[in-house]
Amino acid sequence: MMTSEKDTEQNEELNEKQKPPVSMAGRVAATGFCGGVLWSFVAYIAYLFHFSEISPNMILQPFVLGEWKKHGLGTVISIILIGVISIGAAFLYFLLLKRLKTMWPGILYGLVLWLLVFFVFNPIFPDVRTVTELTSDTIITTICIYLLYGLFVGYSISFEYNELNSEKLARALGMHRE
Amino acid sequence: MPDHKEEKIRVYRNPAKNEEYFKNRVGMGTSYDVGVRKLTILDKEIQLYYLNGLCDTAYIIHLMRELVAINNRKEDPDELVDIVENRLLNAQVEKVKTLDETTDQVLSGLVAVIVEGAGFAFIIDVRSYPGRNPEEPDTEKVVRGARDGFVENIVVNTALLRRRIRDERLRVKMTKVGERSKTDLSICYIEDIADPDLVEIVEKEIASIDVDGLTMADKTVEEFIVNQSYNPFPLVRYTERPDVAANHVLEGHVIIIVDTSPSVIITPTTLFHHVQHAEEYRQAPSVGTFLRWVRFFGILASTLFLPIWFLFVLQPDLLPDNMKFIGLNKDTHIPIILQIFLADLGIEFLRMAAIHTPTALSTAMGLIAAVLIGQIAIEVGLFSPEVILYVSLAAIGTFTTPSYELSLANKMSRLVLMILVALFHIKGLVIGFTVLIIAMASIKSLQTPYLWPLIPFNGKALWQVLVRTAKPGAKVRPSIVHPKNRLRQPTNS
Repeated sequence: MMTSEKDTEQNEELNEKQKPPVSMAGRVAATGFCGGVLWSFVAYIAYLFHFSEISPNMILQPFVLGEWKKHGLGTVISIILIGVISIGAAFLYFLLLKRLKTMWPGILYGLVLWLLVFFVFNPIFPDVRTVTELTSDTIITTICIYLLYGLFVGYSISFEYNELNSEKLARALGMHRE
Repeated sequence: MPDHKEEKIRVYRNPAKNEEYFKNRVGMGTSYDVGVRKLTILDKEIQLYYLNGLCDTAYIIHLMRELVAINNRKEDPDELVDIVENRLLNAQVEKVKTLDETTDQVLSGLVAVIVEGAGFAFIIDVRSYPGRNPEEPDTEKVVRGARDGFVENIVVNTALLRRRIRDERLRVKMTKVGERSKTDLSICYIEDIADPDLVEIVEKEIASIDVDGLTMADKTVEEFIVNQSYNPFPLVRYTERPDVAANHVLEGHVIIIVDTSPSVIITPTTLFHHVQHAEEYRQAPSVGTFLRWVRFFGILASTLFLPIWFLFVLQPDLLPDNMKFIGLNKDTHIPIILQIFLADLGIEFLRMAAIHTPTALSTAMGLIAAVLIGQIAIEVGLFSPEVILYVSLAAIGTFTTPSYELSLANKMSRLVLMILVALFHIKGLVIGFTVLIIAMASIKSLQTPYLWPLIPFNGKALWQVLVRTAKPGAKVRPSIVHPKNRLRQPTNS
């Protein structure tokens, strides 16, 4: 590479070439946020069509915030809030399970999250009935959404992690140049 | 096959023995298309073996005229072989030592010239294969843009690609596949972009193909490379457009061109390679994005709309209050699931019939289909109008899918979802959908996750899928092909 003549444009491209476009932590955060938003949006649609009795805005229930939390704005805010919380879930997966290469641990992770939310955290949400009182449709729908969420977050993180550690990406980013 | 290699026979010095070989092994005299022309030049016999139909007679006559002209000059008979080599006026002349290889070449349409006493054969490329000229592919039409398409001839196809990429690093590796058919196949990539591991995998898979013939050309190759088995989703992308192929080569993909097929294989591919179309790249980025979203909507319609609507028919209480009108307005005599399947089957009939029917008759067929089957079936109460509406919507959605293979796979998953909904209602739909996504995510085609960049998630790449981005802004190649050179525009040139 010709480093001697650096005009600004070249400089920019050089920088782009030498450092990874986004760091691993950034990617984990982005994956977590997008996963949370995407699947809570799907959950909202499922709620809209009565597939499940639980709307994403159950997340706002512990807080006394007034009537708006039950309408459109509340839903948007809860979806974004779930996205933010989901960043934490993504980092948890990153810390514990990132080395596993297949997608199945991700799906399992989703199932564990579901158990956690519906059994352990259940008392936090006063409006949500306990699992035994929910309809079977609700249970199946929410489990499926959590499984897909787990797949999304888990598979993305382990794939990204293994890619980043592979020589291929290093070469693609121009780190080991002949 | 090892036993084939052992019996390799060198070209005889005695012309009668060579002729004998061709008569016994290649069936000269029995098969009418293999022939030999014998000339006597400077008192030695020269044989010219050819296969009529695959070579250009004008060139052969030209070659023979030059050979016969040797007689007119007083040349030294001892140097005959060198003189003949000089007189074979063609760009591609090769020496071949064994009769097996000579036979292969003659059967590919080249001519073999064997000089008495030489012990080898000159192979001259005078091939001229029957075939059509490049024309616009029927399945990938665009309003603007190049109208040439790949043809059944591998040489022309390579040339079409080379015309678009004049890079010195473009590699076109030729091999022969098929124990009996000996079909030409070439692997095409750019040396300093494509992932060497990917090239190696593809080469290895192709070398291990053990089959007698590749009559279905690229499709057979695909089945050997990606081990599709009973998974309906297409694991490689086919294209008949040289511009699409060239674009993918530049992105770092590896292209496989198989002789006798007008479509080339693009590897590796993900699901999202099947939902894009050249048309999007021929319009302004915003228009291209719009087209792409409409197309996505069509693809979703072809897969999910019908099962969801069917669910709402079964359980109208699921609908929000302002959407209550969806569903059936009148009671019908036949169960809805049966109606949907019958209507879907009817559309399949039509589609199949339309493929096989000559154009002159297809207008009449369309009329019968539209008026008689559609209209009358509703009037006699066989179908309810809503069924026709939603089944047609799904059918049109299938037609908007750019990849024919994907549209068929979507149709099948739609029918499976319908059965699940009929059996288990909400649970069937939800579990079916989940299993579908998980199954698709678990597919790997040449070590590439099938749902990338959605699962595993890659924001930038997903943006490229959702939005047709402008070319000047597209600086990096997609990471999934592991390009050796990530940037599209080299900095130091």
